[in-house]
Amino acid sequence: MPIYDQGYRRYEARGPLRKARFWPITREALRLVLSKRAFLGLLLAGFIPFVVRVAQIYIVTQYPQADRVLPIDGRLFGEFLNQQIGFTILLVIFGASGLVANDLRTGAILAYLSRPLTRRDYVIGKLLVPLFLCLSVTLAPGLLLYATGLSLAPDFYGKWELAWIGPAIVVHACAISLVVSLLTLAISALSRSARVAGLALFGLMVGLEMVRVILQHGFRQKPAMLLSIQTNLRAVGTALFGIADREVVMAWGWSALVLALLSLGCLYVLRSRVRAVEIVT
Amino acid sequence: MTTAAAATAPVLEYTRASRWYGPVIALNDVTTQVPPGVTGLLGPNGAGKSTFLKLAAGQLQPSQGEVKLLGVPAWGSPEVFHRVGLCPEADAFWENLTGRQFLTTLLRLSGFDEAECKERTARALDEVALAAAQDRKIGGYSRGMRQRIKLAQAIAHDPEVLLLDEPVTGMDPLNRRRVIDLVRRLGREGKTVVVSSHILYEVEAMTRRVLLVHNGRILAEGDVREIRDLLDEHPHTVALRARDPRRLAAAVVCWPAVVSVRLDPAGEWVTVETTRPDEFYGALHDAALEAGVVEMHSPDENLESVFRYLVAR
Amino acid sequence: MRDTTRPLPFATAARGVFDLTLDGMVFSRRSLLMGLLVAAPMAFAVLYRVLAATRGQPPLGPTDLYALMVAVYWIRNVLPLAALFYATSLVADEVEGKTLTYLLTRPLTRASIFAGKFAAYVATTFTLALPAAVLTFFILMTAPTAPPLAAALADLPRDLGVMLLTLVAYGALFGLLGVLLKRPVIPGLVFLYGWELLANVPGYLPRFTLTAWLRSLVPYRPAEDGLAGLFQQVLPAGQGLAVLIFVSIAFVAAAVWIFSSREYVLDQ
Repeated sequence: MPIYDQGYRRYEARGPLRKARFWPITREALRLVLSKRAFLGLLLAGFIPFVVRVAQIYIVTQYPQADRVLPIDGRLFGEFLNQQIGFTILLVIFGASGLVANDLRTGAILAYLSRPLTRRDYVIGKLLVPLFLCLSVTLAPGLLLYATGLSLAPDFYGKWELAWIGPAIVVHACAISLVVSLLTLAISALSRSARVAGLALFGLMVGLEMVRVILQHGFRQKPAMLLSIQTNLRAVGTALFGIADREVVMAWGWSALVLALLSLGCLYVLRSRVRAVEIVT
Repeated sequence: MTTAAAATAPVLEYTRASRWYGPVIALNDVTTQVPPGVTGLLGPNGAGKSTFLKLAAGQLQPSQGEVKLLGVPAWGSPEVFHRVGLCPEADAFWENLTGRQFLTTLLRLSGFDEAECKERTARALDEVALAAAQDRKIGGYSRGMRQRIKLAQAIAHDPEVLLLDEPVTGMDPLNRRRVIDLVRRLGREGKTVVVSSHILYEVEAMTRRVLLVHNGRILAEGDVREIRDLLDEHPHTVALRARDPRRLAAAVVCWPAVVSVRLDPAGEWVTVETTRPDEFYGALHDAALEAGVVEMHSPDENLESVFRYLVAR
Repeated sequence: MRDTTRPLPFATAARGVFDLTLDGMVFSRRSLLMGLLVAAPMAFAVLYRVLAATRGQPPLGPTDLYALMVAVYWIRNVLPLAALFYATSLVADEVEGKTLTYLLTRPLTRASIFAGKFAAYVATTFTLALPAAVLTFFILMTAPTAPPLAAALADLPRDLGVMLLTLVAYGALFGLLGVLLKRPVIPGLVFLYGWELLANVPGYLPRFTLTAWLRSLVPYRPAEDGLAGLFQQVLPAGQGLAVLIFVSIAFVAAAVWIFSSREYVLDQ
């Protein structure tokens, strides 16, 4: 009787694999997250700044002299997206911090990877969840705000000089969403508890921001700006939209570099943590 | 109380005990007493066995009625756990601890000093054959080893009462045998052991006294032979795969113990119903050799069929 | 000889749970992150000395920087965050890991279980904070522009005491939230970054915050923006100590009561 090797073997099906095989992971995770009423409430609260900005545009179209106090040029959209960074962090803490952590705790990763799924599919499927949540409070309201501006003030926003607003919204929203999503997923992969992962993400964001403030204002160290993830994201926004932000004191290129390195670091963490089998020594 | 009365005094007592979780009744008006010795708690999945054990272990309060363990209410009496050990069903540990540390920590929490912790740990590890792996982290244990260390923590403090929830799940046949022998020995020593399982033959090997639970109620209690006899009245199904199934069918159809023979359309399997399985198995050997039987199993050699039968009566 | 008719004595039981919990708390990624956050002021202090030596006196004096670290960084921000991190998980970690059964089937009172875990939390966090605070103090207070060390030394035990009280008070509150609520993180964050802002409003409301009472125990008043800068009140220190001790005991007692009466169904 032949005795077969019982070691772990990668799935090597020869049949054609579906292209979007990560989609069921995303779909089910989103379904779970969006079924919670409290979370939906938080998502809706993320649209309050949108409503305020729409009101701002409306007021200025009705009373043009208000433009001096409430400018509605391209900067409006940059400031709006910079404000939404806080909401994205809240959303991912409550909606996405357990994405990988729960699977690590329950051993579900083995179940995923025993399907015709690669680790890349798993990570993409999971990544799309916080990405969706972040884009829903950045890209969606951002573009909606732009569309609202175009409809309320077509003469103003329809000018060729302001045509860059739309692409800038897309780029900035995607940058915010991608960085926050990767960071969330990486921290989730470093823990086996959604609660701990969420708190760790919050602690990291708040802690680094505190350190930045102390070093930047107390020690007048400009490079300290690069320590804070929120400030780096805001720096990208100021560059894209021409906003004046007194906290942004370094060239946006440095911020972009830091964010890119952070993203690569997160991908590295995901690569090392998302495994079918964990070796315990 | 006389010695005889004390010897048979109930260790675990349920008096009209019920437990529900919202609209779901997990245990329904149960009145029973568990004396010293080994008692098998049997039931299909979802019957209420775990709730029964959790009430006994004081982890849950009865929604109605009373559950007493060693004469005191099980809920809210932590002192009773000097004399009670629980082997829970969940596969959960502090994974960063080694097997030895796990036992030592829990023994310390049972009030033993360092020297006694050490001695009892060594003894418990020997009992479950984990001495060689005692300094490995539990996170690196196999399924069977994890089950054994769980059992070790239940017996290490030498309790009078043991509540074992599916203790042999995930174990290989050798270790199953070891656990069964351990339980029988503990019963002979006068301890009270309640073993929960849904596999009849496993419990049969440990004890003759069983409690059958179904839909939150006690369906039957008493000697397991009575249950077995019930199985014998109800035709027992045996499926056999043979190289010459028709020859096998022709041979067995004449046996008095056989009530029906069926050939499957693909022609490989013969399904036999018998009212006297012991007699059938005794006579099967020669016929099996001649017909070239390569595989045999009994689809209803478990409690589901007993319960179906009992519920249908 | 064990007394098998009674649960283990409270102190013995709590000590056993303390040892078990401490082991898991100290050697964890959580503690690494918290340790880095808590220890950041040491890095600030070193940087301060380096800058002062190479580029001349920074805008803040060493005493001002130390005051900022104690009053704003540790007491107002990082230590309460550490309390949220650890104290909400005291029982929740055991429930999630399904290991609570092992503790509940030992001859231990639930009060001793909670007390042991709470003590482990305080020990862990204070062990992270103590060396950071002491080293920061000495690095800054030995700067050339700092006041005489002997005079400043009396402040150190007081500041350490207030930091300990911060951990205890917030830990008691978040420990209560942890046993009371299924998801204590959101209310905890709302409390820390919402409710506690009431400490900066005029009138009687600051008395309903922990921050205002903790602030009353240290003499440092670093300049702050916004409401904090405009309306910051200084409450009586003696009252502050009494209130904080009282609320800590009350929160822990409430947590113990809830934990003792709650059932934990772990297999579902």
